Amino acid sequence: MGDDEKKKGLMSGIKGVLYGMAGHDMTRYALKTRGSMEHLFILITMGDLLGIPILPPYYSLRLLPYVVPQISTWKRRMLREKDLTDALA
Amino acid sequence: MNALLPLLVTIIAIAVGYGWYARTVNRRVIQPDSKKATPATLYMDGVDFTPANRHVLFGYQFKSIAALGPIIGPIVAVQWGWLPALLWVVFGTLLLGWVQDYSSIMLSVREDGQTFGALSFRLISPRARTILVLFIYFYLLLLMAAFGKIVGFDLMTNPAVPLGVLLVIGIGLLAGQMTYKWKLDILLTTLITVALAFVGIWAGTLSGVKSFVQMLGGGAQSPLIFGNVTWAQFLWSLVVLIICYLGAVLPIWRWAQPINYVAFWIVFLGIIAGTLGLLIWHPSIPDSFPAFTNWDGNLTSAAAGAGVTKTFTSLGPLWPILFVTIACGAISGWHSLVSSSGTARQLENESDGLFVGAGAMFLEMFLAVLSILTAVVGIGAVQGFGKYAELIGAGKAGGVFALGLAEMMNHAGIPVAFGVSYGAVFLTLMALTIMYLVVRFMRVASAEFLGDTIPFFRNASFGSIVALVLSAFLIYTGFWARIWVLFGGANQLMASMALLLVSVWLMAKGKSYLWAFIPAIFMFVTTVAALLWTAFAVFRQVANTPNLAVNIMVGNIAAGVIAILLVLAALILVWDGIKALRRLKTGALAEAKA
Repeated sequence: MGDDEKKKGLMSGIKGVLYGMAGHDMTRYALKTRGSMEHLFILITMGDLLGIPILPPYYSLRLLPYVVPQISTWKRRMLREKDLTDALA
Repeated sequence: MNALLPLLVTIIAIAVGYGWYARTVNRRVIQPDSKKATPATLYMDGVDFTPANRHVLFGYQFKSIAALGPIIGPIVAVQWGWLPALLWVVFGTLLLGWVQDYSSIMLSVREDGQTFGALSFRLISPRARTILVLFIYFYLLLLMAAFGKIVGFDLMTNPAVPLGVLLVIGIGLLAGQMTYKWKLDILLTTLITVALAFVGIWAGTLSGVKSFVQMLGGGAQSPLIFGNVTWAQFLWSLVVLIICYLGAVLPIWRWAQPINYVAFWIVFLGIIAGTLGLLIWHPSIPDSFPAFTNWDGNLTSAAAGAGVTKTFTSLGPLWPILFVTIACGAISGWHSLVSSSGTARQLENESDGLFVGAGAMFLEMFLAVLSILTAVVGIGAVQGFGKYAELIGAGKAGGVFALGLAEMMNHAGIPVAFGVSYGAVFLTLMALTIMYLVVRFMRVASAEFLGDTIPFFRNASFGSIVALVLSAFLIYTGFWARIWVLFGGANQLMASMALLLVSVWLMAKGKSYLWAFIPAIFMFVTTVAALLWTAFAVFRQVANTPNLAVNIMVGNIAAGVIAILLVLAALILVWDGIKALRRLKTGALAEAKA
């Protein structure tokens, strides 16, 4: 590894640490909020995929192509056992 | 002796602790596998599980674990002399602190990202989870009391501070508006809001403002309104509780997040300026500042030599009280909670765990040593040991840090008057960052446990108000020094339980567990002894203090009872933990025979 690459690596490390201290929590929370909203929406429209007795509306079919990429992560989150101590971070 | 020597000792401790001990344990016991998928990648859902870069996660972990504990704890512990405080900070981190932080992360990573509630249910016993959550609730209540008392009774009663704090909060709200609503560039938002925050802190130091704030607080000699609580202490503690209420019930993006963002820069720049000032100044540790005072940490005899003829309350014997007084400076149960529920779910690669978990703890050790130096040289080299004793005797450990940091920053070109206000605002914001999160958790916990029987608890405002009323009760009625020790004891008892959980897990996996089990036993014995001793001291102080007001009597008895309840809860958990260990040993023997 050359000196320039080392310097770049060091700078990007410092930037990463600073970002982690200052802004990572904000970004994470924004992503969490968006993810929760999307998952809630999928639950309302596609809940039958998890066995929730929802009569799929006509719009579920129209939305399906847009929802497909998220179905696996959505199922994973919905079916995961949650605990109160999850709320600490 | 030069004041930079303790910093050098810290660097050597990091080299030995991280470079050799932690790496050896990591390589031989935990054996991280870079090819193994972590929960962050395996269960990525974009909400709870999201992989993050190791440097980013290091920063996140450090920010999550560093609050008032590593600052106030070491400053209070200097009552026994700076040497015992320094030794426990260094050896505590080296042998116990990083062990707990790192192993908590790896335990959660290896167990599908489960947090401590679920893990204690599965690894120890079903009732262990319930007791653990109750334990956490009361531990967090003591945290609220200890932090609230420092902020409301100590820092905010300095007339140069409240306006700065309130303006920084207002500027934080502006930062949120600029970021989320106006969609302005984050760099521009940062530059504008941090510059405004500096102006706000400076505005608080203007004489007209100070006079006005002092008038609000009832004048230079604020009148007593009940017990030994002055109007200023009552007013500013109430303001702090209202700020916490808003932080707990308003959307995070609207209140807590942007304020924490601006607060981070105040804290970060303060630490940089303080360290820089200390390096430029590099004073000698004054001979008059004792390396060791006495075994009881009794400032009365220690300060007599410095010409202070006041009687101080002794906190208690060096063992076990000093070990819990330092709190997060050496080892903290809070770390295990945030490590398992936040960091473990973002670890991209198993081999990043050591850098993130142990590395952040060693950096916190540096912060704790810097805090000791604010007392020893920041105050000791300028105003002498007597000033330190006076401030501690008046329950102003936060004031020691603010003044000490100001003296250090003065050598980096920042005037002392501004520096004192800056240091106090810095510490207040650091406390508030954690207090919002704590009230939120207490609200959620009360909703889970009581929501079915008392539906009011499902209401966010009601649960938050109950948590804040309980906190206010302890803030307004407890003896500060005792509350701090009780908080430290509960915090480290939590750490010992985390280490016990890790030991059970290591045993279940057939791995070497003594490196976690011995610290668990040491911390358990020490913290139980400290909690019982302090509870007894509180009861004795209540009984022996003549004409004690009823509210103080009730508040302190309540604090003592909470300490005993925590010990009982811990004993049940340890009993169940030992049964789990026996179960595992018997299982292992049966397997070997088969």
